[in-house]
Amino acid sequence: MKRFIKFFTSIKLAIVLLIILAIISILGTFIPQGRSLEEYVARYGRLSGLFIRLELTGLYHSVWYLGLLGLFALNIIICTLTRLTPKLRRALKPHLTADPKSLSALKTNARFKRSAPLADVQSELTKLLATAHYKVKAAAQPSRISILARKRIGGIFGSDVVHAGLLIILAGGIVSGVGSIRDNLSLNVGDVKPVPKAEFEVRLDKFTTEYYPDRSVKAWKSDLTVLEQKKPVLTRTISVNHPLTYKGYSFYQTSYGWNWDSPAVEIWAKSKNDPTFLRKMTLKVGERALLEDKAQTTIAVQKFLPDFVLGEANQPENRSLQPNNQAALIEGFRGTEKVFSGWIFSNFPEFDQIHAANDKDKEKETDLAFELKSFEAGQYSVLEAAKDPGAILIWIGCALLMAGLCLAFYWPTWEIKAALEESQGKTEWIAGGVATKSREAFSAEFERITAALRRSK
Amino acid sequence: MNESTLFLVTFILYIISAFFYLAFLFSKQPGQAKTGSALAIAGLAVHAIALIARTVESGHAPFTNMYESLSFLSWASVLAFVIIDKKFRISRIGPYIMLIVIGLVALASSPLMPKEVTPLVPALQSYWLWLHVSVTLLGEAFFAVAFITSIMYLTAKEPEKKEKLDSVSYRCVAVGFPLFTLGGLVFGMVWAYKAWGTYWSWDPKEVWSLITWVVFALYLHTRIVMGWKGKRSAIIAILGFLAALFTYFGVNYLLTGLHSYA
Ligand code: HEM
Repeated sequence: MKRFIKFFTSIKLAIVLLIILAIISILGTFIPQGRSLEEYVARYGRLSGLFIRLELTGLYHSVWYLGLLGLFALNIIICTLTRLTPKLRRALKPHLTADPKSLSALKTNARFKRSAPLADVQSELTKLLATAHYKVKAAAQPSRISILARKRIGGIFGSDVVHAGLLIILAGGIVSGVGSIRDNLSLNVGDVKPVPKAEFEVRLDKFTTEYYPDRSVKAWKSDLTVLEQKKPVLTRTISVNHPLTYKGYSFYQTSYGWNWDSPAVEIWAKSKNDPTFLRKMTLKVGERALLEDKAQTTIAVQKFLPDFVLGEANQPENRSLQPNNQAALIEGFRGTEKVFSGWIFSNFPEFDQIHAANDKDKEKETDLAFELKSFEAGQYSVLEAAKDPGAILIWIGCALLMAGLCLAFYWPTWEIKAALEESQGKTEWIAGGVATKSREAFSAEFERITAALRRSK
Repeated sequence: MNESTLFLVTFILYIISAFFYLAFLFSKQPGQAKTGSALAIAGLAVHAIALIARTVESGHAPFTNMYESLSFLSWASVLAFVIIDKKFRISRIGPYIMLIVIGLVALASSPLMPKEVTPLVPALQSYWLWLHVSVTLLGEAFFAVAFITSIMYLTAKEPEKKEKLDSVSYRCVAVGFPLFTLGGLVFGMVWAYKAWGTYWSWDPKEVWSLITWVVFALYLHTRIVMGWKGKRSAIIAILGFLAALFTYFGVNYLLTGLHSYA
């Protein structure tokens, strides 16, 4: 047990662990994490099996990475605790007695002999120290008086507070890993969905996408209502960076999608022969409308594809559900007879694919040209519902971490000890000082105080 | 004056400042270092106005693409240098800092970096963007000064110079480390939690910040607990800054992840 503790108090172990963790973490940034088997095979070929078996493809959640973090945590706990007791003793029950030999061994020290009674020198020194904001304690021994003066004693605990913060952050990571609930909710406007493992439901009232003038997305906003036993209790608009939090759950705007069930399409019809002819209409897929041209054509939108691509059998199909390459299949009728048809594209307005429905009927070919101007389709909102009981620990840990860093670097503990001895009406004093940080500033202050003590009568 | 003119004036001021510092390096006349410092401070002020002009023009924080964040990083580096010089009187590092800053500003002005103002994607519309990036880059600026003083430590000959450079390196890390921890790790986690609902995603940029942070933690522990100083400390500080540089550039160009904006 002793050897076990000794092993874990060693700062060398901490350094080795930190180096190993750093190197392994670097490895994980060069091997993409959490991808599909096919991707790894394509990338690494025969090595992929080895990588997966070694968990290099899910490195940060692998048993051995977590194991290393565990060792690291144990190292911090044991190292910090074994040093804590002496530090606490130093802060709470300091040695008051100072012996001249050890004081003169300190780097910062001063000594002097004055022809004044000890009590005078002592009160002088106490006053000087108190004006410099030191807390002063004195102890009387048979032959001398010892003085201990300190300020900002809390500074010696900076590193402990930092380490405690780190441990709480690690604990928070474990709690999150084990206890967090996370689920995507896809909601059309009007949908009500139960929140996973919770007693309440959410309803999407409205979903809007705001655009910048250059058509890039400015914001996605979802009006969300929380329902308890079917009764609305809370309505909020959420957007990226502005989640809604309710009963430990947070709802994040993560994504959106288009609902292609029944889109409406805006089409402009022009005539190649008559520049004044222009008809605008908005049609749902499957709907027909009379054009009111000379030939009394009726047109219909037969199909709409948001992301047109020619598939393997040269068949039009969707590449994705995003409106990247919108295309509509237009058909023209005279009476009940189909006379022309063809695809039109919003990205390529001049690409005219309209042709006669029947190759033999060339005269039925039309002088009409069509443009696909815009479309209207419902959008659904994708929210993430998450409950992360570890998060609070993370924030507490972060606060401790920062507080500890401030203590460690900017709250330097300064300590001045002095021993005063009286013989034949003269007082001989010797003072020494130690500082955890800002040693130059401390030396200057020490000089100032001891010089003043020398000068005074 | 618009932002690009201001930026040009800044550039010129930094170049003249570097010139005076270089002259000081050879002549050892303190007057030249003073002029160099005054010019650097003037450059810093004009640069600050340029950054404000950019903010007003774009309507968002001046670090949403590589051009803007390089500009901000060079500004922060001059600021860090001015502070360190005021405190520790170490004009000797001036020429090297100014040369690096000129390099950064030149890189920012080069055609490689698109300069047009682009609207902010939803994920970046947050005041945490300000806190996260500005504090992180300020921390990195102090690491940059530590990097310079560490390299100078390794090449310096006289013991007093070496000792001073070693102590200034440590002081820079002592300022940079808390800033980097606050901006890079704490604010980063808070923002990620607000935007995505997870405070940590093991995205390459996050991992590389963590690595940078671990390297500087190693610096502190070897120094404070094991009493390392001088050469070994200098080497760790250099590695730490290189890790920070990789986090900043390398991850964007070599690896892929969430932080693909800037
Ligand atoms: C990445 C993880 C760690 C961080 C960020 C960290 C941070 C710190 C900081 C900021 C200090 C104060 C430095 C100063 O006073 O200037 C410190 C001191 C110290 N750390 Fe760590 N630490 C970490 C891990 C560890 C581990 C694993 C150990 C265990 C061996 C350890 C042992 C110590 C010791 C012994 C001190 C000096 C304590 C004292 O003031 O008495 N640290 N640490």
